[in-house]
Amino acid sequence: MKLRPATGRRLTNLAVSVWAGASALLGIVILFWILYIVVQRGLGALHLAFFTQLPTPPGMAGGGLANAIAGTLVLTAAATLIAVPVGLLAGVYLAEFSEDSKIGDYSRFSANVLMGMPSIIVGVFAYTLVVVPLGHFSGYAGTVALAILMLPVVARITEDMLRLVPNTLRESALALGAPRWKVTLAIVFRAAKGGLITGILLAVARVSGETAPLLFTALNSPYWFHTLGEPTPNLTVTIFNYAMSPYPDWQQQAWGASLLITLGVLLVTVLARFLVRERKA
Amino acid sequence: MPQTEERPAASLQVVGKTPFAAAQGETLIESATLLTRLGLTSKVASRHLNFFYGENQALFDNNLDIAEHRVTAIIGPSGCGKSTHLRIYNRIYELYRDQRATGEILLDGANILDPRYDIMELRRKVGMIFQKPTPFPMSVFDNVAYGLKLHYTMKKSEMADRVEEALSRAALWDEVKDFLNRPGTALSGGQQQRLCIARALAVEPEVLLMDEPTSAIDPIATSKIEELVHDLKGNYTIVIVTHNMQQAARISDFTAFFYQGHIIEFGETEEIFTKPAHKQTEDYITGRFG
Repeated sequence: MKLRPATGRRLTNLAVSVWAGASALLGIVILFWILYIVVQRGLGALHLAFFTQLPTPPGMAGGGLANAIAGTLVLTAAATLIAVPVGLLAGVYLAEFSEDSKIGDYSRFSANVLMGMPSIIVGVFAYTLVVVPLGHFSGYAGTVALAILMLPVVARITEDMLRLVPNTLRESALALGAPRWKVTLAIVFRAAKGGLITGILLAVARVSGETAPLLFTALNSPYWFHTLGEPTPNLTVTIFNYAMSPYPDWQQQAWGASLLITLGVLLVTVLARFLVRERKA
Repeated sequence: MPQTEERPAASLQVVGKTPFAAAQGETLIESATLLTRLGLTSKVASRHLNFFYGENQALFDNNLDIAEHRVTAIIGPSGCGKSTHLRIYNRIYELYRDQRATGEILLDGANILDPRYDIMELRRKVGMIFQKPTPFPMSVFDNVAYGLKLHYTMKKSEMADRVEEALSRAALWDEVKDFLNRPGTALSGGQQQRLCIARALAVEPEVLLMDEPTSAIDPIATSKIEELVHDLKGNYTIVIVTHNMQQAARISDFTAFFYQGHIIEFGETEEIFTKPAHKQTEDYITGRFG
């Protein structure tokens, strides 16, 4: 038996460490690069008027995207209102009641597939489901598309978070004579609260930046938001339209809208992280 | 542990309740016979109890009597089925779909394995303490009040009294009375376990099941809990699963030795530890295997 020289192993170790570090750095660099460019180009567009006024035709100075900001908020909120209760309950079923059940396996599998589905396909689906029968684009169709995108994310996050709650906690509550539904609501949900809120916030953040599903459904509108029954103004489709336009002032607005959405998503994500830390403390 | 009961004169004069199975004229059950001889009541009696994890049988024809207002220890090597046995007493195993029990467990003579037996009432009468402390994610007060609210309606002031009483009985009140609004999870491990005991005591159980209650706790906290078990046995029937034989010897009146799903031996703790009748029991308690 001979002692193997350690040099080779040390070199491998060094190489892998450097590679892993460089990969991590690349990810961070790209994120900050995007942030830098969006801030650099978009900051100039964010005056008071951007948040308070309607868009102006190309060439006309001033104007803002107040209608699109309001529309995006309403669309996201409406989709959240539909997807969160259904998704939460689906997650509860998957985590708490689907032991050995075929329906549970099928639901989990469908949710996983749906999560990987390109969002434009969900948009087309909502188009055939809502736009075609109604005969026109509408905020309802956009809401449906966003809700479908959110649903599997909320369901799977809920399942994962509830599964993190140790079974001994369920057993202790059951051993006191609590019925199963009370154990789920009062004990398991409470124990998983931080994770659930974080997951839902991340799902909201993701959906609020979606463009493709809205192209076929909510479309866009240059007017104030009135009702979900008509084409609904929103930031992402506005970015898409304005960025493709030849007018510098519209392009400037698109940068402003991009910055706003990026900051919004960043804010929600940071808030989610903060809540997780709060829970651990 | 010295037995303080006067033994009845060597006759068939039975003091207390006749154990159920004996009354039915079944084959004599060691534990039932012993309790009868000592004039003790059998609070919980398992009869021909088998248990299965899916296809795998874990318990084989268990017959065991738990004496009322006494501490019964269940000992045996890891995987012998002692926790499995205990977990049938409050049907907590029903949380898992592939687990099932056959046979009978008689609580005051009524078979709790009968699906018609009210499971909420069973679990109010039979409390359980787990290996790891499991405080609920809520305040100390709410932890104890949780079970109370499940089973009773009462005024707020009465609730506060009952919570205090339960915490006092669990020898925790003096340590937490100024922190009732702190989260239960902020207490030390030993305090958390006593909080769980208080929570179980609050609903006025008759039987307390303890599944290795001190195995995750430091020695000082362990001795507190052992003292507590000693104090509680006047009012409760206690069954404790432990892999610590010194603990079984210190705190129990009766001991059952399990091995590979069978009850090998049952007797007064002193007897079991000084002159075990079976070779396997002797080998285990002298540390020859385990």
